[in-house]
Amino acid sequence: MRGNSPQRTLRSQLRAVLAIAKKDALHFLRYPLSAAFQVLQPIIWLTPVYFMGRSFAGAGGSGGFAAYAGTGDYMSFIIVGAVLSSYDSAVLWGMGYALKTEMDAGTLESNWLTPVPRPLFLVGQTLASLALTTLTSAGVVALGWLLFGFRVTGDVFLAALVTLPLLVALYGFGFAFAGLVLLLKEANTLVDVSSFALPLLSGAQFPVQVLPPLLLPLSLALPLTYGYDAVRGLLLGTKTLVPIAYEVGILLVFMGLMGVLGYTVFKRVERRCQRLGTIGMH
Amino acid sequence: MPPTPFQPSPISQLRALLAVTRKNWIIFLRYPNWLVVFIIWPVLFPLGYIFTAKALGGPEGGAVGNFSALSGTSDYLSYIVIGSTFYMWLNLTLWDVGFQLRQEQLRGTLESNWLAPVPRLSLLVGGSLLSLGTSLFFLAVTAVGFRLFFGVNLVSENVGLLLLILALSVGSIYGIGFAFASLVLRFREANALVFLVRGVFMIFCGVTYPLEVLPGWMQSVASVLPLTYAIGAIRAVTLHGAGFADIAPKLIRLAVFAAVLPVLGVAAFYLMERRARHTGSLGHF
Repeated sequence: MRGNSPQRTLRSQLRAVLAIAKKDALHFLRYPLSAAFQVLQPIIWLTPVYFMGRSFAGAGGSGGFAAYAGTGDYMSFIIVGAVLSSYDSAVLWGMGYALKTEMDAGTLESNWLTPVPRPLFLVGQTLASLALTTLTSAGVVALGWLLFGFRVTGDVFLAALVTLPLLVALYGFGFAFAGLVLLLKEANTLVDVSSFALPLLSGAQFPVQVLPPLLLPLSLALPLTYGYDAVRGLLLGTKTLVPIAYEVGILLVFMGLMGVLGYTVFKRVERRCQRLGTIGMH
Repeated sequence: MPPTPFQPSPISQLRALLAVTRKNWIIFLRYPNWLVVFIIWPVLFPLGYIFTAKALGGPEGGAVGNFSALSGTSDYLSYIVIGSTFYMWLNLTLWDVGFQLRQEQLRGTLESNWLAPVPRLSLLVGGSLLSLGTSLFFLAVTAVGFRLFFGVNLVSENVGLLLLILALSVGSIYGIGFAFASLVLRFREANALVFLVRGVFMIFCGVTYPLEVLPGWMQSVASVLPLTYAIGAIRAVTLHGAGFADIAPKLIRLAVFAAVLPVLGVAAFYLMERRARHTGSLGHF
């Protein structure tokens, strides 16, 4: 007689996702030094930019920057970019790096034998890091206000709404990226380079108009560029590349495209690894 | 009759050192990601600061004059590349040297290697030899990459003086690396410590901006960090054509750092070793 296979319900899947998030949160809190440092890290990146801005500023402030961005408040411009890019890192790290950590610890194969859909594993692994990113971002904004005079003048709620399709598009990227980690068995360099290059090309630190002609098309092909630009336009009243309504439309298209594409790539790679029996290798 | 205890000779110690280097070399080759680290990162990393500087300078470069008045050069591209290359060298050393004992700990091989009849320091120095070789390769790739893509010439006519600055910097950077490796084993945490230590150097050493924009107390901190002098000396030689006499005060300070920091690094290592033996914490992770 065959045993009854467990019935997957929405509730059981939600429990599984929360269990994964809880496991990651426990693991994170186990290293308190690392936890405390999550808030300090963005400030360490922002401080050199602050002083660099001062070295270019004249008596009248940052006129050079204002000519590009439509605001001379370069620190608020950069802090908004830093907060948004910490979310994009959370998704990439959450999926790609967590996969590698499980590979190294030798727990990936056994976890994947449980009756939980694998994509759900990946989503679960980003939940703790997204919650944590929200907390640390609040810390960064508070420190940014205190140290660098960060302030927003626009509609925060509307800006938060614009980040939703951006986040879904990032999940698409994350799935494709996790597939790549499964194939290459290496995550550090991939995560490092992509989580550095994506915000760089999308203008997390500067208006993309300064990019050379060779890189500008790449930047304009990335959804993040429009996400950063629209959010800044709404929060800081900066000059946007195209009207904000168009940028939101572009984000929605990217969201659908990347969601499907990323998921398909991941499933195909996963099937290939199952066939070759390489899931546990590292 | 009890067996004669194994007596390590200088040759056996050297063999152990080379064996550690060889082991690290094999691991290094096993993961071809080093190609990305050494070829893409040197060019990719400074770009964020370079483009930010370009934006701060304005569409017509009108604000570059303010930067020039403080730094003595309007060539902010070369200025930033020199600073960020030194910063990345330190960063690589912190990861390679600082993380290697921790990696053994995570793999569960540190305790067994610790029991081998070789000086424990060879575990640390063996890995550093490979790190030094790869770092030199990294520096060469940076110089070639920026020459090719941006037309920046990082090698001045006074090559001998540049090599002297680099040689003195090696002592300082690896001294910091040794001490850092011990710190990582003590706290069993590498990521946060790397971010913290490299962050201190990034902020205080004028990697992307002239030190004059820092408040007084921050300039005082900068004056006790070796990278401040290394970066300042290279910029003086490359961007202003300075000679030996012009940068002699910086070289003297760098020489003192190069002599003192490795000794402090080794002392930190032995302190950590003694503590680990007392607490039995070497295999914990």
